[in-house]
Amino acid sequence: MRPKIEKYYPLIPVYVAYLVMFLIGRTMPSMWQMVALLAFYCAIGQAFNIFLGMTGYVDFGYVAFMALGTYGMALGITAFYQTGLGIGIIFIGLLLGVVMATLLSLAVGSVALRLRGAYFAIATIGVNEGFRYFVEGAKIWGGSEGMIFSRELKEAFGAEMASQLSTLWADVAVFIIAVVAAFVTIYYMRGKIGYALTALREDEDAAKVMGINVTKYKIIAFITSAAFAGLIGAMAWALKLTYVFPPDVFKIHYTIECIIVVLLGGAGTLLGPVVGGLIYAFSKYWLAVVAPGFQLLIFAPIIIAIIMAFPEGIMGLVKRRAKGTGWEKYII
Amino acid sequence: MALLELENITKRFGGLVAVNDVSLQIEAGELIGIVGPNGSGKTTLYNVISGVYSPEEGRVIFQGKDITNLPPYRRAPLGIGRTFQIPRPFKSASVRENVAIGAMFGTLSGKVSVDESLEIADHYIELVGLQAYKDKAAGTLTPTEKKLMEIARALAMKPKLLLMDEAMAGMHPSDIDNMVKFIKKVGVEENIAIVSMVEHIMRAMVGFAQRIIVMHRGAKLVDAPTAEALSDPKVIDVYLGRPSGD
Repeated sequence: MRPKIEKYYPLIPVYVAYLVMFLIGRTMPSMWQMVALLAFYCAIGQAFNIFLGMTGYVDFGYVAFMALGTYGMALGITAFYQTGLGIGIIFIGLLLGVVMATLLSLAVGSVALRLRGAYFAIATIGVNEGFRYFVEGAKIWGGSEGMIFSRELKEAFGAEMASQLSTLWADVAVFIIAVVAAFVTIYYMRGKIGYALTALREDEDAAKVMGINVTKYKIIAFITSAAFAGLIGAMAWALKLTYVFPPDVFKIHYTIECIIVVLLGGAGTLLGPVVGGLIYAFSKYWLAVVAPGFQLLIFAPIIIAIIMAFPEGIMGLVKRRAKGTGWEKYII
Repeated sequence: MALLELENITKRFGGLVAVNDVSLQIEAGELIGIVGPNGSGKTTLYNVISGVYSPEEGRVIFQGKDITNLPPYRRAPLGIGRTFQIPRPFKSASVRENVAIGAMFGTLSGKVSVDESLEIADHYIELVGLQAYKDKAAGTLTPTEKKLMEIARALAMKPKLLLMDEAMAGMHPSDIDNMVKFIKKVGVEENIAIVSMVEHIMRAMVGFAQRIIVMHRGAKLVDAPTAEALSDPKVIDVYLGRPSGD
């Protein structure tokens, strides 16, 4: 029998990619902002892939989980900044963000995940918009004015540390989240959950008759994916920007970006979100420089061409090519 | 106690009565053939047993337990396995992974690890003779290979009752004979009650079944030992029709 550790070899290329990005960012200070942007797209891809890639279901309300993570951090900081807990308030914020995102995903998932394919997708579109209007209309969490907490952050940590948290540690955290999300992905893939999800993605009715509680496994993937979205929102949005503004966080645009990153790189592959995230973020960054204002116009046909050429995403193709070669055990 | 008992099962789709007041019993390890023309209610009966449909009337009892309203995913771990008329492989997964899924979620559910399931899969893949295709994606197999894979997947579930839907349709006659021998052997060795459903491959039934149930227009027409059932005038009527003016 093959040693168990070999099952986790596909993490090597993923972690090498993150390490290289991180080192480039740390050694060249002018590159840090771009590296942080790349890491952000890799991380949301990695998180969204756990649901979209593994179940084949599309969630158009995904950004709502990131938004709740953002609010979680905002609430944590504003409620506890005077308690002298130090860095503890960041952890409280993270915890709140994850719990809020998880609860919403549990509520949405346990109802909507009983629907199939396109019906699920349609049902989730309403979640994001609905939650945004709820926050604005019910005037909770600052209503439509949102929450600004840069003052609280400074008061709790001092000006220098607060700025460090936003410009450095929030981005470092995104790297860590991406690393953990990649690990969870392969852990699922190699376990019973992964087999169940593969089965239900391919043929839900056959999976049921085979003894698989499809709703349960879909919900596991959904919640896991949402929890990571909450973490990313809390770090990459709340802690980095030090404000939350409903139209900025409940923005379907980000859900679409998640879908593009995952499909571009290869849904259900481990390295796909990294490849997709890098290509997408690079092009976005570069197009904004060379053709400001025309990014989307230029980007749309490029995406269509790539999807036409590689329907299984870039890593889907690479994976097929690697089959039977020595690379096979490093790529899934 | 019978392994499976159907008590007065009726299943309707709107005004159409697909299965009409059917009762039957299956003992552990029995080899049974269900025959009947297209539309006679065979597949609906399978769906009621495996839990895809719940019947309007009647009860399904498995090993003494009423499972009429149990969802399908809870019946498989009790020991009800099935194959489909048109094979339904998990296409992107390899043959080995497909069969391992059977082991993981069947009656061994919760008792075997992923690695053990893969070993069980290897055993059944060898049994059906697909070892050369073990690492191929199941979607790339030929129709006959897919059928064999489905049988391996169902056997890996270690069922007590295996429902096979037209397992031999589209196969070459000599393959059918081999398949029948193989299925019979496995059924006897592992004490699985096997129900095989066919539309009209009587050749397979004669060599396989100890008992034949003939379905006609949703009802059970005949339920008798094989030789007796096949010579029953009612069965001949259903299959060949009555000479006119009779």
